[in-house]
Amino acid sequence: MSNETHIPMRPVWDQPDTSRIPFKVYTDEQTHQKELEKLFYQNHWCYVGLEAEIPEHGDFKRTVIGERSVIMVRGADGEINVVENVCAHRGMRFCRKKHGNAKEFVCPYHQWNYDLKGNLQGVPFRRGVKQDGQVKGGMPKDFKPADHGLTQLRVAQRGGVVFATFDQEAESFEDFVGPEMLHYFDRMFNGRKLKLLGYNKQRIPGNWKLMMENIKDPYHPGLLHTWFVTFGLWRADNRSELKMDKHHRHAAMISTRGEGGKNAQTTGVSSFKEEMKLHDPRFLDVEVEPWWNGPTAVMMTLFPSVILQQQVNSVSTRHIQPNGHDSFDFVWTHFGYEDDTEEMTERRLRQANLFGPAGFVSADDGEVIEFSQEGFEQKPFHRSLAELGGREIGDTDHMVSETLIRGMYEYWRKQMED
Amino acid sequence: MSDNWIKVTALDEIPDDDVIGVSVEGRQIALYKYEGEVFATDNVCTHGQALLSDGFLEDGEIECPLHQGRFCIKSGKAMCDPLTEDVRTYDTRVDGEEVLLLIG
Amino acid sequence: MNMEIYLQLTQFYQEYAANVDAAEWDSWIEMFTEDCTYRIQARENHERNLPMAALSLEGKGMLKDRIYGITETIFHDPYMQNHVVSAPRIKSLTPELIDCEANYAVFRTKNDGIAQVFNVGRYIDRIRNTPDGLKIESRICVFDNDMILNSLIYPI
Repeated sequence: MSNETHIPMRPVWDQPDTSRIPFKVYTDEQTHQKELEKLFYQNHWCYVGLEAEIPEHGDFKRTVIGERSVIMVRGADGEINVVENVCAHRGMRFCRKKHGNAKEFVCPYHQWNYDLKGNLQGVPFRRGVKQDGQVKGGMPKDFKPADHGLTQLRVAQRGGVVFATFDQEAESFEDFVGPEMLHYFDRMFNGRKLKLLGYNKQRIPGNWKLMMENIKDPYHPGLLHTWFVTFGLWRADNRSELKMDKHHRHAAMISTRGEGGKNAQTTGVSSFKEEMKLHDPRFLDVEVEPWWNGPTAVMMTLFPSVILQQQVNSVSTRHIQPNGHDSFDFVWTHFGYEDDTEEMTERRLRQANLFGPAGFVSADDGEVIEFSQEGFEQKPFHRSLAELGGREIGDTDHMVSETLIRGMYEYWRKQMED
Repeated sequence: MSDNWIKVTALDEIPDDDVIGVSVEGRQIALYKYEGEVFATDNVCTHGQALLSDGFLEDGEIECPLHQGRFCIKSGKAMCDPLTEDVRTYDTRVDGEEVLLLIG
Repeated sequence: MNMEIYLQLTQFYQEYAANVDAAEWDSWIEMFTEDCTYRIQARENHERNLPMAALSLEGKGMLKDRIYGITETIFHDPYMQNHVVSAPRIKSLTPELIDCEANYAVFRTKNDGIAQVFNVGRYIDRIRNTPDGLKIESRICVFDNDMILNSLIYPI
């Protein structure tokens, strides 16, 4: 296929496996629409937020699942509900605030009124108006408010994190994540209350899957992120593992920082500059926390919507919010834990300088995704290579493999090609 | 103060088992005639921006036209969602053909 | 109000803009005090009293590390910046310290590109009057954009 230059109608895989990925999977709007349907709206649990973002009854946050606007709200009973931000009447996205506190939802267009679970409570002039002793207009007699609520999503909460799905038939959240990944999920969200530190948001002009791939690609950090290597944070001989769930859709990159120093072997590609020292070492003032149980960094991808980050003391969720096949918003929610000391909060905030749209080792991820998309768009008949570590798919005990990317596309093909 | 009864309307202005709105000293009042008796509440709903006199009187309850919240016209009690607040009631008296209201 | 201070301050703001637009990073660093704060923060975080910022630097050492990072380590599309900075508004004034604010708009132009509005916001400043002239003790760039357009490399 790579010798041909005609543009196919849809992605064509030139291998039985997924070691070569057609550019078309990133450039085709129809494929994108199908992905939204099959990967975001059916069969999958998507990230919506943290319980700590809506601590009080009536607190809400507007967010998205795929490209559908939803509201996460804590109801009068303290339970968390997720409802779609589309009025049942004329379809308006009625909630315009990003967050706030509400007793009920009212669409301003015709004042249709919903409770915080999304049940329709009342409709103006449902029974018409009284005029000259007669009642005129109004909704038909058989109109049942119970049939016209907001779309109510299934909600799952674990360790202070909230997920939701439009799919009433989807497996449980725990089954969806699977025991392999649940182990790392529970490590980070072990029941301690979370403390919201704030947000970083960036719009990245590339296909959303590229961000999933970025965090399933342990090949690039030591090569692209020169900063990591320069200051000794990333070394090719760091003890590391790559793990997946049984479907190969989710993954964890687990690494434990080596002792470093001049005697250890570093990656031969970017040389470790022994003389380079930070003017202010507080950027890397790491304090080992008991909950780590060893690993200094665990980067999890929970397909398709979220990345869970632990990089030493910096912890965040990174929410993928597609808008079209060639762009997504990337929303970082940084947090700490309720029992953090002030020093630990400071440390987490300082280390956050490494991450996000301005981060020492994250700004470049957004850039390479943008330029990858440019390459795909100009050559949509071509394909990329993901053959590092072989063509097969499986867990590894090293970082020199693209197995997680192959695994994700194996799953992708099963979902998209049936 | 104790007997500040004000004439508000003629009794036959209120249709049987129905509601009208009147203005009394700058207040909007809903007047109900129900099973031969006269009752009064504030006319503006405690929930949305609507007049209860545009609503529907049934079984001693007024249903707001906007979101179908229902108040008991005798006690002012909010009977269902989305109402969270009772509506104020007023004492009434019929003097011959006149309806009088006690404004406290 | 002291007109001389106001003119000095106005000139200081324009010099700052000129330094970042010309990528004169050493001069940029020298506009700060040793124990300075420099922060680029989304308005959403700022208004909700959430401490997270896109960039949060304390002290000249961190400023130097940032400049090393953007010039030597971070891979990014090259771009030019053009700052339009409003006249400052002095909120309080003592002989040593000025609390002031100014609005800014930063336009970004990439090599093959057309200028685009990159970041719009407000400087919230504390400026110290030192024997070496005015120095920034604290500058918080509170930006209105909900999203940063992909990445933010250079100081603003």
